[in-house]
Amino acid sequence: MRRTNDFVVGLVTLAGAAVIVGATLWVQQAALGQRESGVTARFRDVGNVQVGNAVVIRGVRAGRVKRIELADGGWVEMQMLLDPAVELPHDPAVLVSASSLFGEWQATVMSKSGLPPNPDVQQQIAEASGDRHVLPGASLPDIAQLTGVAARIADDVASVAERVQVAFTDSAARELRRSIGNVERVTSDLAVAVGRHSNNLDGVLVDVRAGTRSLNAAAASLRRTTARVDSSTSAGEITRMVADAGEATAQLRAAAVVLRAVADSLSASQGTLQRVLVRTDSVMVKVNAGQGSLGQLVTNPSLYHNGDSLVAELRDLVADIRAHPKKYVNVRIF
Amino acid sequence: MNAVAVAPTGRTRPQPLVGAVEGVGRLTRRGVEAVGRLARFVRDTARAVADVGTWWPLTTLHARLLGVDSLPIALFIAVFTGIVLALLASYTFTGAVPLYFVGTLVEKTITMELAPVLTGLALAGRVGASIAAELGTMRVTEQIDALETLAYDPHAYLVVPRVIAGTLMFPLVVGLAMVVGVGAGWLASLLLLDLSTAQFVKGMRLFFTEFDVRYGLVKSSSFGFAVTLTGCITGMRAGGGAQGVGRAATKAVVYSAVVILILDAFWAVVWLLGRTK
Repeated sequence: MRRTNDFVVGLVTLAGAAVIVGATLWVQQAALGQRESGVTARFRDVGNVQVGNAVVIRGVRAGRVKRIELADGGWVEMQMLLDPAVELPHDPAVLVSASSLFGEWQATVMSKSGLPPNPDVQQQIAEASGDRHVLPGASLPDIAQLTGVAARIADDVASVAERVQVAFTDSAARELRRSIGNVERVTSDLAVAVGRHSNNLDGVLVDVRAGTRSLNAAAASLRRTTARVDSSTSAGEITRMVADAGEATAQLRAAAVVLRAVADSLSASQGTLQRVLVRTDSVMVKVNAGQGSLGQLVTNPSLYHNGDSLVAELRDLVADIRAHPKKYVNVRIF
Repeated sequence: MNAVAVAPTGRTRPQPLVGAVEGVGRLTRRGVEAVGRLARFVRDTARAVADVGTWWPLTTLHARLLGVDSLPIALFIAVFTGIVLALLASYTFTGAVPLYFVGTLVEKTITMELAPVLTGLALAGRVGASIAAELGTMRVTEQIDALETLAYDPHAYLVVPRVIAGTLMFPLVVGLAMVVGVGAGWLASLLLLDLSTAQFVKGMRLFFTEFDVRYGLVKSSSFGFAVTLTGCITGMRAGGGAQGVGRAATKAVVYSAVVILILDAFWAVVWLLGRTK
């Protein structure tokens, strides 16, 4: 009985221990019997990397993090175990970063030329370089930090959206809709106008083209004129022209003197005329005021009335003479 | 003795304040006595460990009774725990969290908590009650007195082999329960959920460290120690015939369950909290 108990207990213990240890090693991906190569990298900060996290080369899992410990000089040294068949890339560096949104981190071994163009990363790598036996390492920001920034941005966007919502009322929406309709109409009108004026534009283009040709011709003509001027200068014609121009200027100066004398006599005549006009104006004022004979003649109606009655009496006298000539004419012979 | 005052007429009347103080003192005395009895029992058991010749031949017997024979119930519990946990995780993770985290949750939860605690509680009922009933019967039938008369140390003969067997075999049973529980979770994920083996294993390996297993095994070992010791104490202190034996068995189960939960919290505070900070 005791032997049976011993046997059963021993068997169960061995089997259980084997199962438990085997399962643990399998889950832990422990490489029993394989010689793994160790690589050490140093960082200023390794983020949330933990022992057992994956080491990745060109996107393929190639090992795991074996140990992380603080080192002198403010460094953190991370030892990684790589599969024996794995070859490190040329000029390698190690970049630790989050591999998912759920807190998983991984160490990526890559060539320095393949590092992201992040100034912070480049600075970390440059700072950690220098030791031939230790790879330089850098860490990317934690996703929690990025999500924190994103959360702040989202808050800002939400705040802006809230303000827009406050400003963008129903009436604003209706006005905006109306504005859009207006813009559509304006656009269609513009399209019609453009279609209508396209022929004119074509004509303008033709004119512009013709103008350009004319300008070209004018330029050619100017070029020829310039050539002639150049040849004239060389033949002395310009000197002659300048001399002629000097003579003409002298004649013009003499004519100007004559004109100045004429202008002076005109100025004297103008003074005389002004005096005549003043006197005439004085006479006319007196005439209008009824002063003098002429004034009386112009303004006094009694002379008119007397004349008028005189004419009437003369008309009566003539009629009476015609009717009774003998009354007034008495012809006697002897 | 109740506090009383002698009235002038010769009649006595109780004094409430004095009675309350006496009650506190009585409780304190009983508590100290209990601690003292426990400490004396542990001391006697520790002394009996030196009597290897007495307890060693019996250890494998109890290891089989307490450990090997408890495997079916422990694995049964683990299977259903794993299945339910996988389904629960998939129900919880729907949409927001990738489904391969089912593996993570099943592994972490079963390894660190459910396998040790559920198995411990189940074995508290089975093992604790069994030990208490057995030793209680021996006490009320004066077999233990007979052992003492025959110059046998009852602690070396009855307690030590059971405690050692429980302390050593609980981790084995719990370890197998871990494996079976995680395997059941994997099978449930494979057959009942839209999850592949690769995804489940990926999630399982994601945050796995050997500390998970170590934590669960050490915790279960402490549970084994507590359950067997509690069963032995209640059994050895049984009295009053068959009814006393029944009470001892009941006490053993209740006390063992309480001690398991207290130890679970103790290890979490002492060990997990230190790693989390």
